[in-house]
Amino acid sequence: MRPFKALIRKQIVESRWTLALSAAALFGLGWLFVYVTSRTEAEIVRMLESDTEGGRRIQFMRLMGVQNTSVSIMMTFWSHPLIMLLISIWAIGRGSAAVAAEIERGTMDLILSRPVARWNYLASQVLVATVGLAILAAALLAGASIAVHFNVLREPPSSWVLIWPALNLAALGLPIYGYTLLASALDHVRWRPTSIGSALTLGGIIAYVVSMIPVLQDMSWKPWLERISIFKAYNPIELVDVGETLGFNLSILAGLGAAFIALAFAAFSVRDLPTNG
Amino acid sequence: MLDLEKSGLIVTESLTKFYTRVRALDSLSLEVFRGEVFGLLGPNGSGKTTTIRLLLGLLRPTAGRAMVAGFDTWWNSLDVRRLVSYLPGELRMYGALTGLGTLKLLCDLRDGAGLDRAVAIAERVMKLNLKRKIRTYSTGMKQKLALAQVFADPVDTLILDEPTSALDPSARSIVLGLVHEARSQGQSVIFSGHVLAEVEQVADRVAIMCKGRLMHIEDMRARRMLRMLLVRFEGGIQPEIPRDLELSVRERNGETLLLEHRGDLSSLLRWLGSVPIEDIAIGTEDLRTLYDQFHGPNVPDVEAPV
Repeated sequence: MRPFKALIRKQIVESRWTLALSAAALFGLGWLFVYVTSRTEAEIVRMLESDTEGGRRIQFMRLMGVQNTSVSIMMTFWSHPLIMLLISIWAIGRGSAAVAAEIERGTMDLILSRPVARWNYLASQVLVATVGLAILAAALLAGASIAVHFNVLREPPSSWVLIWPALNLAALGLPIYGYTLLASALDHVRWRPTSIGSALTLGGIIAYVVSMIPVLQDMSWKPWLERISIFKAYNPIELVDVGETLGFNLSILAGLGAAFIALAFAAFSVRDLPTNG
Repeated sequence: MLDLEKSGLIVTESLTKFYTRVRALDSLSLEVFRGEVFGLLGPNGSGKTTTIRLLLGLLRPTAGRAMVAGFDTWWNSLDVRRLVSYLPGELRMYGALTGLGTLKLLCDLRDGAGLDRAVAIAERVMKLNLKRKIRTYSTGMKQKLALAQVFADPVDTLILDEPTSALDPSARSIVLGLVHEARSQGQSVIFSGHVLAEVEQVADRVAIMCKGRLMHIEDMRARRMLRMLLVRFEGGIQPEIPRDLELSVRERNGETLLLEHRGDLSSLLRWLGSVPIEDIAIGTEDLRTLYDQFHGPNVPDVEAPV
Protein backbone atom coordinates (compact mmCIF):
# COMPACT_ATOMS: atom_id res chain seq x y z
CA MET A 1 0.00 0.00 0.00
CA ARG A 2 2.89 2.34 0.75
CA PRO A 3 4.21 2.39 -2.84
CA PHE A 4 0.69 3.10 -4.10
CA LYS A 5 0.30 6.00 -1.67
CA ALA A 6 3.68 7.35 -2.73
CA LEU A 7 2.59 7.25 -6.36
CA ILE A 8 -0.65 9.04 -5.52
CA ARG A 9 1.29 11.73 -3.66
CA LYS A 10 3.58 12.16 -6.65
CA GLN A 11 0.65 12.58 -9.05
CA ILE A 12 -0.98 15.13 -6.75
CA VAL A 13 2.22 17.15 -6.45
CA GLU A 14 2.64 17.13 -10.21
CA SER A 15 -0.92 18.07 -11.10
CA ARG A 16 -1.95 20.27 -8.21
CA TRP A 17 -1.56 23.60 -9.99
CA THR A 18 -3.46 22.53 -13.11
CA LEU A 19 -6.20 21.12 -10.92
CA ALA A 20 -6.36 24.15 -8.63
CA LEU A 21 -6.48 26.65 -11.50
CA SER A 22 -9.06 24.65 -13.46
CA ALA A 23 -11.20 24.20 -10.34
CA ALA A 24 -10.98 27.91 -9.57
CA ALA A 25 -11.99 28.73 -13.13
CA LEU A 26 -14.96 26.35 -12.96
CA PHE A 27 -15.99 27.74 -9.58
CA GLY A 28 -15.93 31.23 -11.09
CA LEU A 29 -17.88 30.10 -14.15
CA GLY A 30 -20.47 28.41 -11.93
CA TRP A 31 -20.93 31.68 -10.08
CA LEU A 32 -20.95 33.74 -13.28
CA PHE A 33 -23.62 31.56 -14.89
CA VAL A 34 -25.93 32.07 -11.90
CA TYR A 35 -25.43 35.80 -12.21
CA VAL A 36 -26.12 35.66 -15.97
CA THR A 37 -29.21 33.51 -15.32
CA SER A 38 -30.43 36.08 -12.86
CA ARG A 39 -30.00 38.87 -15.42
CA THR A 40 -31.61 36.78 -18.17
CA GLU A 41 -34.64 36.08 -16.01
CA ALA A 42 -35.01 39.76 -15.23
CA GLU A 43 -34.87 40.48 -18.96
CA ILE A 44 -37.53 37.82 -19.69
CA VAL A 45 -39.83 39.24 -17.04
CA ARG A 46 -39.35 42.70 -18.50
CA MET A 47 -40.18 41.46 -22.01
CA LEU A 48 -43.23 39.56 -20.83
CA GLU A 49 -44.53 42.66 -19.14
CA SER A 50 -43.76 45.01 -22.07
CA ASP A 51 -44.95 43.53 -25.38
CA THR A 52 -45.63 40.36 -27.30
CA GLU A 53 -42.12 40.09 -28.69
CA GLY A 54 -41.00 38.72 -25.32
CA GLY A 55 -43.66 36.07 -25.46
CA ARG A 56 -42.41 35.01 -28.86
CA ARG A 57 -38.90 34.81 -27.46
CA ILE A 58 -40.02 32.59 -24.60
CA GLN A 59 -41.78 30.40 -27.13
CA PHE A 60 -38.60 30.24 -29.17
CA MET A 61 -36.65 29.18 -26.09
CA ARG A 62 -39.17 26.41 -25.43
CA LEU A 63 -38.84 25.29 -29.02
CA MET A 64 -35.09 25.05 -28.44
CA GLY A 65 -35.84 22.75 -25.51
CA VAL A 66 -35.21 25.29 -22.77
CA GLN A 67 -37.90 25.45 -20.12
CA ASN A 68 -38.68 28.75 -18.51
CA THR A 69 -37.21 27.83 -15.15
CA SER A 70 -34.13 29.28 -13.44
CA VAL A 71 -32.23 26.02 -13.44
CA SER A 72 -33.12 25.31 -17.06
CA ILE A 73 -31.75 28.65 -18.17
CA MET A 74 -28.66 28.12 -16.02
CA MET A 75 -28.03 24.74 -17.64
CA THR A 76 -27.87 26.29 -21.10
CA PHE A 77 -24.67 27.92 -19.87
CA TRP A 78 -23.33 24.68 -18.42
CA SER A 79 -22.99 23.47 -22.01
CA HIS A 80 -20.67 26.40 -22.71
CA PRO A 81 -17.49 25.40 -24.62
CA LEU A 82 -15.35 26.84 -21.82
CA ILE A 83 -16.72 24.24 -19.40
CA MET A 84 -15.99 21.42 -21.83
CA LEU A 85 -12.60 22.89 -22.60
CA LEU A 86 -11.54 22.88 -18.95
CA ILE A 87 -12.69 19.31 -18.46
CA SER A 88 -10.99 18.25 -21.70
CA ILE A 89 -7.70 19.95 -20.79
CA TRP A 90 -7.56 18.05 -17.53
CA ALA A 91 -8.56 14.73 -19.09
CA ILE A 92 -6.16 14.98 -22.05
CA GLY A 93 -3.36 16.39 -19.90
CA ARG A 94 -3.52 13.60 -17.31
CA GLY A 95 -4.05 10.91 -19.92
CA SER A 96 -1.02 11.86 -21.98
CA ALA A 97 1.10 12.38 -18.86
CA ALA A 98 0.35 8.94 -17.47
CA VAL A 99 2.76 6.85 -19.54
CA ALA A 100 4.10 8.58 -22.65
CA ALA A 101 5.28 11.72 -20.85
CA GLU A 102 7.02 9.68 -18.14
CA ILE A 103 8.86 7.65 -20.76
CA GLU A 104 9.71 10.76 -22.76
CA ARG A 105 11.30 12.54 -19.82
CA GLY A 106 12.98 9.35 -18.65
CA THR A 107 11.42 9.14 -15.20
CA MET A 108 9.51 5.92 -15.91
CA ASP A 109 12.72 3.97 -15.28
CA LEU A 110 13.04 5.57 -11.87
CA ILE A 111 9.58 4.33 -10.85
CA LEU A 112 9.30 0.97 -12.57
CA SER A 113 12.79 -0.22 -11.71
CA ARG A 114 11.49 -0.24 -8.13
CA PRO A 115 9.18 -3.05 -6.98
CA VAL A 116 6.05 -1.37 -8.32
CA ALA A 117 3.58 -3.37 -10.40
CA ARG A 118 2.64 -1.77 -13.68
CA TRP A 119 -0.98 -2.29 -12.70
CA ASN A 120 -0.46 -0.27 -9.51
CA TYR A 121 1.34 2.47 -11.36
CA LEU A 122 -1.47 2.94 -13.87
CA ALA A 123 -4.16 2.55 -11.20
CA SER A 124 -2.64 5.48 -9.28
CA GLN A 125 -2.76 7.57 -12.44
CA VAL A 126 -6.39 6.66 -13.14
CA LEU A 127 -7.42 7.32 -9.54
CA VAL A 128 -5.92 10.82 -9.44
CA ALA A 129 -7.34 11.70 -12.86
CA THR A 130 -10.88 10.54 -12.07
CA VAL A 131 -10.91 12.15 -8.63
CA GLY A 132 -9.64 15.28 -10.40
CA LEU A 133 -12.64 15.16 -12.76
CA ALA A 134 -14.95 14.86 -9.77
CA ILE A 135 -13.23 17.83 -8.09
CA LEU A 136 -13.62 19.96 -11.22
CA ALA A 137 -17.32 19.14 -11.51
CA ALA A 138 -17.71 19.78 -7.78
CA ALA A 139 -16.05 23.17 -8.19
CA LEU A 140 -18.64 24.16 -10.82
CA LEU A 141 -21.39 22.87 -8.56
CA ALA A 142 -19.98 24.74 -5.56
CA GLY A 143 -19.70 27.98 -7.52
CA ALA A 144 -23.32 27.73 -8.63
CA SER A 145 -24.64 26.57 -5.24
CA ILE A 146 -23.02 29.44 -3.38
CA ALA A 147 -23.88 32.03 -6.03
CA VAL A 148 -27.56 31.13 -5.75
CA HIS A 149 -27.55 32.77 -2.31
CA PHE A 150 -26.08 36.01 -3.64
CA ASN A 151 -28.20 36.43 -6.80
CA VAL A 152 -31.92 36.76 -7.31
CA LEU A 153 -33.50 33.82 -9.13
CA ARG A 154 -37.20 33.17 -9.56
CA GLU A 155 -36.82 29.53 -8.57
CA PRO A 156 -33.42 29.04 -6.93
CA PRO A 157 -32.35 25.43 -7.52
CA SER A 158 -31.13 23.31 -4.65
CA SER A 159 -27.65 21.85 -4.74
CA TRP A 160 -29.28 18.44 -5.03
CA VAL A 161 -30.76 19.39 -8.42
CA LEU A 162 -27.38 20.58 -9.65
CA ILE A 163 -25.53 17.42 -8.58
CA TRP A 164 -26.80 15.42 -11.57
CA PRO A 165 -25.58 17.79 -14.30
CA ALA A 166 -22.29 18.04 -12.40
CA LEU A 167 -22.06 14.25 -12.34
CA ASN A 168 -22.81 14.20 -16.06
CA LEU A 169 -19.99 16.69 -16.64
CA ALA A 170 -17.50 14.60 -14.63
CA ALA A 171 -18.57 11.51 -16.56
CA LEU A 172 -17.99 13.37 -19.84
CA GLY A 173 -14.31 13.57 -18.92
CA LEU A 174 -13.99 9.79 -18.52
CA PRO A 175 -14.01 8.73 -22.20
CA ILE A 176 -11.80 11.72 -23.08
CA TYR A 177 -9.32 10.62 -20.42
CA GLY A 178 -9.77 7.00 -21.46
CA TYR A 179 -8.87 7.32 -25.13
CA THR A 180 -6.00 9.67 -24.37
CA LEU A 181 -4.70 7.24 -21.73
CA LEU A 182 -4.89 4.38 -24.22
CA ALA A 183 -2.88 6.37 -26.76
CA SER A 184 -0.43 7.28 -24.01
CA ALA A 185 -0.09 3.67 -22.84
CA LEU A 186 1.07 2.71 -26.33
CA ASP A 187 3.43 5.60 -26.95
CA HIS A 188 6.75 7.03 -25.77
CA VAL A 189 6.34 10.71 -26.64
CA ARG A 190 3.72 13.02 -25.17
CA TRP A 191 2.79 15.07 -28.21
CA ARG A 192 1.18 12.15 -30.03
CA PRO A 193 -1.37 11.07 -27.38
CA THR A 194 -2.09 14.75 -26.72
CA SER A 195 -2.79 15.27 -30.42
CA ILE A 196 -4.87 12.11 -30.67
CA GLY A 197 -6.89 13.05 -27.57
CA SER A 198 -7.41 16.61 -28.82
CA ALA A 199 -8.37 15.50 -32.33
CA LEU A 200 -10.91 12.96 -31.07
CA THR A 201 -12.39 15.47 -28.64
CA LEU A 202 -12.57 18.21 -31.24
CA GLY A 203 -14.03 15.74 -33.74
CA GLY A 204 -16.69 14.78 -31.20
CA ILE A 205 -17.62 18.42 -30.60
CA ILE A 206 -17.78 19.15 -34.33
CA ALA A 207 -19.92 16.06 -34.98
CA TYR A 208 -22.30 17.08 -32.22
CA VAL A 209 -22.53 20.71 -33.36
CA VAL A 210 -23.13 19.68 -36.99
CA SER A 211 -25.83 17.22 -35.93
CA MET A 212 -27.61 20.10 -34.15
CA ILE A 213 -27.82 22.38 -37.19
CA PRO A 214 -31.57 22.64 -38.00
CA VAL A 215 -31.24 22.54 -41.79
CA LEU A 216 -29.30 19.26 -41.61
CA GLN A 217 -31.92 17.44 -39.51
CA ASP A 218 -33.27 15.49 -42.50
CA MET A 219 -29.90 14.16 -43.62
CA SER A 220 -29.56 10.38 -43.50
CA TRP A 221 -26.14 10.57 -41.81
CA LYS A 222 -27.30 12.90 -39.03
CA PRO A 223 -28.12 10.09 -36.54
CA TRP A 224 -24.64 8.65 -37.10
CA LEU A 225 -23.04 11.98 -36.31
CA GLU A 226 -24.97 12.06 -33.04
CA ARG A 227 -24.02 8.52 -32.15
CA ILE A 228 -20.30 8.94 -32.68
CA SER A 229 -20.11 12.02 -30.46
CA ILE A 230 -19.74 11.52 -26.72
CA PHE A 231 -21.02 15.07 -26.28
CA LYS A 232 -24.50 13.84 -27.15
CA ALA A 233 -24.40 12.10 -23.76
CA TYR A 234 -23.78 15.38 -21.95
CA ASN A 235 -27.14 17.11 -21.72
CA PRO A 236 -27.57 19.13 -18.51
CA ILE A 237 -30.69 20.89 -19.77
CA GLU A 238 -32.55 17.65 -20.35
CA LEU A 239 -31.32 16.35 -16.99
CA VAL A 240 -32.93 19.14 -14.97
CA ASP A 241 -36.06 19.38 -17.11
CA VAL A 242 -36.89 15.70 -17.60
CA GLY A 243 -34.10 13.69 -15.99
CA GLU A 244 -34.85 10.49 -17.88
CA THR A 245 -31.53 10.23 -19.68
CA LEU A 246 -29.26 10.51 -16.64
CA GLY A 247 -28.77 6.78 -16.16
CA PHE A 248 -28.32 6.12 -19.87
CA ASN A 249 -25.88 8.99 -20.41
CA LEU A 250 -23.84 8.12 -17.35
CA SER A 251 -23.72 4.47 -18.42
CA ILE A 252 -22.56 5.38 -21.91
CA LEU A 253 -19.87 7.78 -20.70
CA ALA A 254 -18.66 5.65 -17.80
CA GLY A 255 -18.81 2.50 -19.93
CA LEU A 256 -16.76 4.05 -22.72
CA GLY A 257 -14.30 5.49 -20.21
CA ALA A 258 -13.95 2.14 -18.42
CA ALA A 259 -13.48 0.30 -21.72
CA PHE A 260 -10.72 2.63 -22.89
CA ILE A 261 -9.04 2.51 -19.47
CA ALA A 262 -9.21 -1.30 -19.44
CA LEU A 263 -7.60 -1.37 -22.89
CA ALA A 264 -4.91 1.00 -21.62
CA PHE A 265 -4.18 -1.39 -18.72
CA ALA A 266 -3.95 -4.31 -21.13
CA ALA A 267 -1.64 -2.41 -23.49
CA PHE A 268 0.58 -1.09 -20.72
CA SER A 269 0.98 -4.46 -19.01
CA VAL A 270 2.52 -6.15 -22.06
CA ARG A 271 4.41 -3.35 -23.76
CA ASP A 272 8.14 -2.74 -23.78
CA LEU A 273 9.33 0.26 -21.81
CA PRO A 274 12.10 1.81 -23.84
CA THR A 275 14.62 4.37 -22.69
CA ASN A 276 13.68 7.99 -23.20
CA GLY A 277 14.24 9.64 -26.55
CA MET B 1 12.84 -23.76 -11.21
CA LEU B 2 16.59 -23.49 -11.32
CA ASP B 3 18.88 -25.07 -8.76
CA LEU B 4 20.24 -21.88 -7.25
CA GLU B 5 23.06 -23.60 -5.41
CA LYS B 6 24.56 -24.85 -8.66
CA SER B 7 23.56 -22.10 -11.06
CA GLY B 8 24.06 -18.36 -10.91
CA LEU B 9 21.89 -15.79 -9.20
CA ILE B 10 21.24 -14.32 -12.63
CA VAL B 11 20.93 -16.68 -15.56
CA THR B 12 20.11 -15.87 -19.15
CA GLU B 13 19.38 -18.59 -21.67
CA SER B 14 19.52 -17.70 -25.36
CA LEU B 15 18.12 -14.30 -24.45
CA THR B 16 17.16 -12.46 -27.62
CA LYS B 17 15.55 -9.12 -28.27
CA PHE B 18 14.42 -7.59 -31.53
CA TYR B 19 13.13 -4.03 -31.83
CA THR B 20 10.78 -4.61 -34.75
CA ARG B 21 13.36 -5.83 -37.31
CA VAL B 22 16.47 -4.61 -35.52
CA ARG B 23 18.35 -7.26 -33.54
CA ALA B 24 19.44 -5.66 -30.28
CA LEU B 25 20.43 -8.86 -28.46
CA ASP B 26 21.17 -12.23 -29.95
CA SER B 27 21.08 -15.47 -27.97
CA LEU B 28 22.80 -14.21 -24.86
CA SER B 29 23.58 -16.97 -22.38
CA LEU B 30 25.46 -16.11 -19.22
CA GLU B 31 25.44 -16.53 -15.47
CA VAL B 32 26.20 -14.09 -12.67
CA PHE B 33 26.95 -15.65 -9.32
CA ARG B 34 26.20 -14.51 -5.79
CA GLY B 35 28.73 -12.04 -4.41
CA GLU B 36 30.27 -11.45 -7.80
CA VAL B 37 30.99 -8.18 -9.59
CA PHE B 38 30.22 -8.82 -13.24
CA GLY B 39 31.46 -6.27 -15.76
CA LEU B 40 29.57 -5.62 -18.98
CA LEU B 41 31.69 -4.09 -21.70
CA GLY B 42 31.01 -3.10 -25.25
CA PRO B 43 30.61 -0.04 -27.44
CA ASN B 44 27.34 1.86 -27.77
CA GLY B 45 24.69 -0.35 -29.32
CA SER B 46 26.37 -3.58 -28.26
CA GLY B 47 23.34 -4.69 -26.23
CA LYS B 48 24.41 -3.87 -22.66
CA THR B 49 21.46 -1.63 -21.80
CA THR B 50 19.03 -3.95 -23.58
CA THR B 51 20.35 -6.82 -21.46
CA ILE B 52 19.87 -4.79 -18.29
CA ARG B 53 16.34 -3.72 -19.25
CA LEU B 54 15.45 -7.33 -20.01
CA LEU B 55 16.75 -8.34 -16.58
CA LEU B 56 14.51 -5.73 -14.95
CA GLY B 57 11.42 -6.82 -16.86
CA LEU B 58 11.15 -3.47 -18.61
CA LEU B 59 11.47 -5.26 -21.94
CA ARG B 60 9.92 -8.54 -23.01
CA PRO B 61 12.33 -11.07 -24.53
CA THR B 62 11.67 -11.94 -28.16
CA ALA B 63 13.14 -15.37 -27.45
CA GLY B 64 14.94 -17.10 -24.61
CA ARG B 65 14.58 -16.13 -21.00
CA ALA B 66 16.31 -14.54 -18.07
CA MET B 67 16.00 -15.53 -14.43
CA VAL B 68 16.97 -13.70 -11.27
CA ALA B 69 17.03 -15.89 -8.16
CA GLY B 70 14.79 -18.32 -9.98
CA PHE B 71 12.23 -15.70 -10.99
CA ASP B 72 11.52 -15.16 -14.66
CA THR B 73 12.35 -11.52 -15.35
CA TRP B 74 9.26 -10.94 -17.51
CA TRP B 75 6.58 -13.07 -15.89
CA ASN B 76 7.76 -12.44 -12.30
CA SER B 77 9.15 -8.98 -12.87
CA LEU B 78 7.83 -7.61 -9.57
CA ASP B 79 9.61 -10.35 -7.58
CA VAL B 80 12.78 -9.66 -9.52
CA ARG B 81 12.64 -5.93 -8.82
CA ARG B 82 12.26 -6.66 -5.10
CA LEU B 83 15.70 -8.27 -5.29
CA VAL B 84 17.36 -5.82 -7.63
CA SER B 85 18.29 -2.16 -7.45
CA TYR B 86 19.05 -0.31 -10.66
CA LEU B 87 20.96 2.81 -11.59
CA PRO B 88 19.83 3.92 -15.07
CA GLY B 89 22.44 5.00 -17.58
CA GLU B 90 20.36 7.97 -18.66
CA LEU B 91 19.31 9.30 -15.30
CA ARG B 92 16.26 11.57 -15.09
CA MET B 93 14.60 12.78 -11.91
CA TYR B 94 11.68 14.95 -10.84
CA GLY B 95 13.04 18.50 -10.75
CA ALA B 96 10.37 19.77 -8.37
CA LEU B 97 11.37 17.35 -5.61
CA THR B 98 14.20 17.97 -3.18
CA GLY B 99 17.03 15.49 -2.83
CA LEU B 100 15.42 14.19 0.36
CA GLY B 101 12.01 14.08 -1.31
CA THR B 102 13.47 11.98 -4.10
CA LEU B 103 15.04 9.53 -1.66
CA LYS B 104 11.76 9.33 0.27
CA LEU B 105 9.81 8.65 -2.91
CA LEU B 106 12.22 5.95 -4.04
CA CYS B 107 12.28 4.33 -0.59
CA ASP B 108 8.49 4.47 -0.31
CA LEU B 109 8.31 2.61 -3.61
CA ARG B 110 10.27 -0.12 -1.82
CA ASP B 111 7.95 -0.04 1.21
CA GLY B 112 10.12 2.49 3.01
CA ALA B 113 13.24 0.32 3.20
CA GLY B 114 16.70 1.86 3.31
CA LEU B 115 15.88 5.56 3.75
CA ASP B 116 18.20 6.18 6.70
CA ARG B 117 21.12 4.51 4.96
CA ALA B 118 20.39 6.34 1.69
CA VAL B 119 20.34 9.69 3.49
CA ALA B 120 23.55 8.82 5.32
CA ILE B 121 25.38 7.87 2.12
CA ALA B 122 24.05 10.91 0.26
CA GLU B 123 24.96 13.38 3.02
CA ARG B 124 28.11 11.92 4.53
CA VAL B 125 29.72 10.03 1.68
CA MET B 126 28.48 11.92 -1.38
CA LYS B 127 28.37 15.29 0.45
CA LEU B 128 25.02 16.29 -1.02
CA ASN B 129 22.69 18.96 0.31
CA LEU B 130 19.39 17.10 0.36
CA LYS B 131 17.32 20.21 1.04
CA ARG B 132 17.96 21.55 -2.45
CA LYS B 133 15.59 20.92 -5.33
CA ILE B 134 16.72 18.38 -7.87
CA ARG B 135 16.48 20.99 -10.63
CA THR B 136 19.37 22.83 -8.96
CA TYR B 137 21.55 19.69 -8.94
CA SER B 138 24.22 19.12 -11.56
CA THR B 139 24.22 15.89 -13.57
CA GLY B 140 26.94 14.49 -11.32
CA MET B 141 25.01 15.37 -8.17
CA LYS B 142 21.93 13.59 -9.49
CA GLN B 143 24.04 10.55 -10.23
CA LYS B 144 25.47 10.65 -6.70
CA LEU B 145 21.96 10.84 -5.26
CA ALA B 146 20.80 7.86 -7.31
CA LEU B 147 23.93 5.92 -6.34
CA ALA B 148 23.26 6.64 -2.67
CA GLN B 149 19.82 5.13 -3.13
CA VAL B 150 21.08 2.08 -5.01
CA PHE B 151 23.77 1.25 -2.45
CA ALA B 152 21.26 1.71 0.40
CA ASP B 153 18.66 -0.65 -1.02
CA PRO B 154 18.45 -3.95 0.89
CA VAL B 155 18.68 -6.15 -2.21
CA ASP B 156 20.67 -9.09 -3.54
CA THR B 157 21.75 -7.52 -6.79
CA LEU B 158 22.81 -4.07 -7.94
CA ILE B 159 22.68 -3.22 -11.62
CA LEU B 160 24.76 -0.16 -12.41
CA ASP B 161 24.56 1.19 -15.95
CA GLU B 162 27.54 3.53 -16.44
CA PRO B 163 27.58 4.50 -12.77
CA THR B 164 30.53 6.88 -12.95
CA SER B 165 29.83 8.59 -16.27
CA ALA B 166 29.13 12.01 -14.73
CA LEU B 167 31.31 11.80 -11.64
CA ASP B 168 34.50 13.59 -10.67
CA PRO B 169 37.59 11.44 -9.94
CA SER B 170 37.17 11.38 -6.17
CA ALA B 171 33.50 10.43 -6.45
CA ARG B 172 34.51 7.65 -8.86
CA SER B 173 36.82 6.24 -6.21
CA ILE B 174 34.02 6.38 -3.67
CA VAL B 175 31.70 4.49 -6.01
CA LEU B 176 34.29 1.81 -6.68
CA GLY B 177 34.77 1.50 -2.93
CA LEU B 178 31.02 1.09 -2.46
CA VAL B 179 31.01 -1.62 -5.13
CA HIS B 180 33.74 -3.48 -3.22
CA GLU B 181 31.72 -3.06 -0.02
CA ALA B 182 28.59 -4.40 -1.70
CA ARG B 183 30.48 -7.46 -2.88
CA SER B 184 31.92 -8.05 0.57
CA GLN B 185 28.35 -8.02 1.92
CA GLY B 186 27.42 -10.76 -0.53
CA GLN B 187 25.61 -8.61 -3.07
CA SER B 188 26.05 -9.29 -6.76
CA VAL B 189 26.84 -6.30 -8.93
CA ILE B 190 26.42 -5.93 -12.66
CA PHE B 191 28.70 -3.09 -13.64
CA SER B 192 28.19 -1.80 -17.16
CA GLY B 193 30.65 0.84 -18.24
CA HIS B 194 33.01 2.30 -20.78
CA VAL B 195 35.92 3.10 -18.48
CA LEU B 196 37.95 -0.07 -18.79
CA ALA B 197 40.27 0.74 -15.91
CA GLU B 198 37.32 0.99 -13.51
CA VAL B 199 35.77 -2.26 -14.68
CA GLU B 200 39.16 -3.92 -14.44
CA GLN B 201 39.55 -2.63 -10.90
CA VAL B 202 36.26 -3.97 -9.53
CA ALA B 203 35.07 -6.83 -11.72
CA ASP B 204 35.51 -10.51 -10.94
CA ARG B 205 34.45 -11.44 -14.45
CA VAL B 206 33.90 -9.37 -17.53
CA ALA B 207 31.65 -9.99 -20.53
CA ILE B 208 32.56 -8.30 -23.79
CA MET B 209 29.65 -7.69 -26.12
CA CYS B 210 29.44 -6.64 -29.73
CA LYS B 211 26.36 -5.99 -31.85
CA GLY B 212 24.06 -7.76 -29.42
CA ARG B 213 26.28 -10.81 -29.09
CA LEU B 214 28.40 -12.06 -26.25
CA MET B 215 31.92 -12.29 -27.66
CA HIS B 216 33.94 -13.30 -24.64
CA ILE B 217 33.82 -13.76 -20.87
CA GLU B 218 37.05 -13.12 -19.03
CA ASP B 219 37.78 -14.28 -15.51
CA MET B 220 39.52 -11.26 -14.04
CA ARG B 221 40.83 -13.18 -11.03
CA ALA B 222 42.73 -15.44 -13.40
CA ARG B 223 43.70 -12.48 -15.53
CA ARG B 224 45.29 -10.75 -12.56
CA MET B 225 47.61 -13.79 -12.36
CA LEU B 226 48.55 -13.33 -16.00
CA ARG B 227 52.12 -12.25 -16.84
CA MET B 228 53.29 -11.24 -20.25
CA LEU B 229 56.89 -11.91 -21.22
CA LEU B 230 58.59 -10.30 -24.16
CA VAL B 231 61.68 -12.48 -24.74
CA ARG B 232 64.49 -12.74 -27.25
CA PHE B 233 66.55 -15.89 -26.85
CA GLU B 234 70.23 -16.00 -27.75
CA GLY B 235 70.73 -16.95 -31.37
CA GLY B 236 67.00 -16.65 -31.95
CA ILE B 237 66.59 -20.26 -30.93
CA GLN B 238 63.53 -20.98 -28.78
CA PRO B 239 64.21 -23.57 -26.14
CA GLU B 240 61.61 -26.20 -25.37
CA ILE B 241 59.07 -24.95 -22.83
CA PRO B 242 58.19 -27.43 -20.07
CA ARG B 243 54.48 -28.26 -20.19
CA ASP B 244 53.88 -27.77 -16.44
CA LEU B 245 55.18 -24.19 -16.59
CA GLU B 246 51.82 -22.89 -17.97
CA LEU B 247 53.74 -20.75 -20.43
CA SER B 248 52.50 -20.35 -23.97
CA VAL B 249 53.48 -18.39 -27.05
CA ARG B 250 50.94 -15.81 -28.01
CA GLU B 251 52.82 -13.98 -30.75
CA ARG B 252 56.09 -14.32 -32.67
CA ASN B 253 57.72 -11.30 -34.24
CA GLY B 254 61.00 -12.27 -35.85
CA GLU B 255 63.27 -13.40 -33.07
CA THR B 256 61.09 -11.84 -30.38
CA LEU B 257 58.43 -13.90 -28.66
CA LEU B 258 55.43 -12.71 -26.69
CA LEU B 259 54.71 -15.32 -24.02
CA GLU B 260 51.72 -15.68 -21.68
CA HIS B 261 52.22 -17.10 -18.19
CA ARG B 262 49.49 -18.03 -15.67
CA GLY B 263 51.38 -20.45 -13.42
CA ASP B 264 53.74 -20.37 -10.46
CA LEU B 265 56.24 -17.48 -10.51
CA SER B 266 59.22 -19.24 -8.87
CA SER B 267 59.10 -22.10 -11.40
CA LEU B 268 59.07 -19.56 -14.20
CA LEU B 269 62.02 -17.65 -12.79
CA ARG B 270 64.00 -20.90 -12.33
CA TRP B 271 63.34 -21.85 -15.93
CA LEU B 272 64.27 -18.40 -17.22
CA GLY B 273 67.57 -18.68 -15.33
CA SER B 274 68.32 -21.94 -17.03
CA VAL B 275 67.87 -20.87 -20.67
CA PRO B 276 70.02 -18.48 -22.76
CA ILE B 277 68.19 -15.13 -22.91
CA GLU B 278 69.40 -12.09 -24.79
CA ASP B 279 66.69 -9.69 -23.58
CA ILE B 280 63.50 -9.90 -21.53
CA ALA B 281 60.65 -7.70 -20.30
CA ILE B 282 58.00 -8.93 -17.87
CA GLY B 283 54.69 -7.16 -17.35
CA THR B 284 50.97 -7.57 -17.08
CA GLU B 285 48.26 -7.03 -19.65
CA ASP B 286 45.47 -4.56 -19.10
CA LEU B 287 41.84 -5.03 -20.06
CA ARG B 288 42.28 -2.67 -23.00
CA THR B 289 44.39 -5.25 -24.82
CA LEU B 290 41.67 -7.86 -24.42
CA TYR B 291 38.95 -5.38 -25.33
CA ASP B 292 40.83 -4.34 -28.46
CA GLN B 293 40.88 -7.93 -29.63
CA PHE B 294 37.12 -7.52 -30.18
CA HIS B 295 36.70 -3.80 -30.69
CA GLY B 296 40.08 -2.48 -31.74
CA PRO B 297 40.56 -0.43 -34.89
CA ASN B 298 41.98 -3.39 -36.80
CA VAL B 299 39.25 -5.85 -35.90
CA PRO B 300 37.08 -6.85 -38.85
CA ASP B 301 33.31 -7.04 -38.52
CA VAL B 302 33.05 -9.87 -36.01
CA GLU B 303 30.04 -12.13 -36.29
CA ALA B 304 30.97 -15.28 -34.41
CA PRO B 305 29.64 -15.55 -30.84
CA VAL B 306 31.35 -17.38 -28.01
